Amino acid sequence: MASEPQATPTGPATAPSVRQPTAQWARGPAVPVASVVFALAIGAIFVLLSGHDPIAAYIDLFRGAFGSPYDITETLIQTIPLVLAGLAVAVAFRTGLFNIGAESQLLIGAVAAGAVGARFADLPGFVLFPMVLAAGIGAGAGWAAIAGYLKAARGVNEVITTIMQNYIVVFVMHWLLQNGPMTAPNALGTPASAPIGAGAVLPIIIPNELVPLTRLHAGIFLAIAAVVVFWFLLWRTPLGYELRAVGLGARAAAQAGIDPRTRIVIAMAIAGGFAGLAGMIQVTGVFHRVFDGFSSGYGFDAIAVALLGKNSPIGIALAALLFGAFARGGSIMQANAGVSAQLVSVIEAVVLFVIAAELIVRVLTARRRERKPLEAIA
Amino acid sequence: MTIDQLIGAGVLAATLRLATPILLAALGGVVSERAGVVNIALEGCMLVGAFFGVVAADQSHSVVVALVAAMAVGAGLAAIHAVAAIHLRSDQIVSGMALNILALGLTSYLDYQFYGTTGTPSDLAGVPDIEIAPLAAVPFVGDVIAHQNAIVWAGLALVVLIQVFLFRTVPGLRLRAVGEHPRAAETVGIAVRQTRYWAVIASGMLAALGGAYLSLSVAHSFTDGMTGGRGFIGLAAMIFGRWTPVGALVASLIFGYGTALSFSLQGASIGDVRVPVQLLSTLPYVLTILAVAGFVGRSRPPAADGIPYETEGHA
Repeated sequence: MASEPQATPTGPATAPSVRQPTAQWARGPAVPVASVVFALAIGAIFVLLSGHDPIAAYIDLFRGAFGSPYDITETLIQTIPLVLAGLAVAVAFRTGLFNIGAESQLLIGAVAAGAVGARFADLPGFVLFPMVLAAGIGAGAGWAAIAGYLKAARGVNEVITTIMQNYIVVFVMHWLLQNGPMTAPNALGTPASAPIGAGAVLPIIIPNELVPLTRLHAGIFLAIAAVVVFWFLLWRTPLGYELRAVGLGARAAAQAGIDPRTRIVIAMAIAGGFAGLAGMIQVTGVFHRVFDGFSSGYGFDAIAVALLGKNSPIGIALAALLFGAFARGGSIMQANAGVSAQLVSVIEAVVLFVIAAELIVRVLTARRRERKPLEAIA
Repeated sequence: MTIDQLIGAGVLAATLRLATPILLAALGGVVSERAGVVNIALEGCMLVGAFFGVVAADQSHSVVVALVAAMAVGAGLAAIHAVAAIHLRSDQIVSGMALNILALGLTSYLDYQFYGTTGTPSDLAGVPDIEIAPLAAVPFVGDVIAHQNAIVWAGLALVVLIQVFLFRTVPGLRLRAVGEHPRAAETVGIAVRQTRYWAVIASGMLAALGGAYLSLSVAHSFTDGMTGGRGFIGLAAMIFGRWTPVGALVASLIFGYGTALSFSLQGASIGDVRVPVQLLSTLPYVLTILAVAGFVGRSRPPAADGIPYETEGHA
């Protein structure tokens, strides 16, 4: 019905629908699971067309992700930033905002954490780590709040702002690391910063005797804590209630005395905080410094994670684990089965597209509609 | 730092070269968004254009076939977006993101399956430069425009064509009507959805031509993700250019000039301070945010941009 532009105080709504289908079956995990199965089937066709065995490829994919304790820890390492970036996208979605900028919020969090961690490298851990943590979260939050402010105060579509911000950070990082203040000599073969102080490094949480060479770090606890914070904040605090109210209808929220403009800035800041934490954890847990090409697109995968996880805490954690497994398993599949790891990007894209088009819901609903008359007769 | 590094013929020629792919993507964006469909899959359309242009050039040894193939695949990817945005009423941003990821994954996947780790063949048919003999001897001007690539000129011609089409022809008026007020357009008998389909498909073809320019005119090869966000700069140029072809040209030239400067000023310094050339590359994005926020002029999208249209009574 409503085809006319709906003017809200902050411009037309842009966030994709988080509306839940009314049918009982569609509320659970049926739609996400079916989306993934459908995407895997499409992926199998690609593997088949390129002359490989899809079953073998998927077995390699699975083995690469979960085949040994070491593989599982590697999968979890990939999962951690996806969870946090997924939360960054989801907080915004819940407030009716589309945060495409998780990538740059993650990167700027990493840069801030790396800069503070290296500059004050000599400080003891109990001082340095909180500083690095605050720097990462604060930088992400502040950067994202700009998009929130421009939306709230000047009606600028946050999609545009966050897209532009993604590229701004990339080039600022080039400058910082190639011939700017963070440039440091290193043996990586790529422009990088100086390493952070030992006090800021997240410890490895599994003993080497148990899983040799594992890199799984304490960042996983921060990720789990963040999921709990996300749940508590949105569903157990007045602020969370207000954010969700704005997400469901800015005008109605305004009628109820909730000013959407302040909530939009707050929501973006929280989103950026989650993404900044992701960047901070990659620095303190995995790489111990910042370098060019630091993120492999976690902020973009995060959009798929949030949508597949239906912007719910458990859903995001599971979706992040799935994409973490894809990321880890894909590289093993390429090595063993000769199928390019890029296959997982194709699968991810299909998942995203299927969810955007609500294809599964449409197909299932259509079939149900056809059946109804028969049931009525019976 | 010298004057030559700032406004020398070499810098201006490079500006034209660097502006062209941005311009083609921006023109695609103008056509699509003027009809009311946000197409952030321009980046993906460019990338498939770049890749399949190379594949077709490799197979056919014909530039014409390569360009047609590139644009056809770009049209195909855009058509998927059109179905999602117009018919299925998907969220246009999510659909566009999905297709960007698909394009990156698919081209990298096929690149690996077709050409392995050795890279694309080195004997690809390339798009020729157009030598303007009478101008070649003219100082400065000759150095800037006498040896530009055919697609550079095609891009400039398309600016004029699309500007005239949108603002001086009846079909162009209809296309804009569909983007501003689809209900009113339908009332006077314009097929809203059909118009939007053609606009989105045309945008994919334009972006794919920009991608083919990168692979067949500039690099003479394909590398994974080689468009490097130029589709998004195109989007920025469209916005900065206020959704008009001529505006998109001006914006693309400004953005191209910024990039040309970042090359020519590499290693240059003012006094003792090295010029932070990478920061020049942020210019398109910063200017665009300022423009949309109204700090530099005011950029407003078509009224029905991004809003799916439902025929009356369809509920």
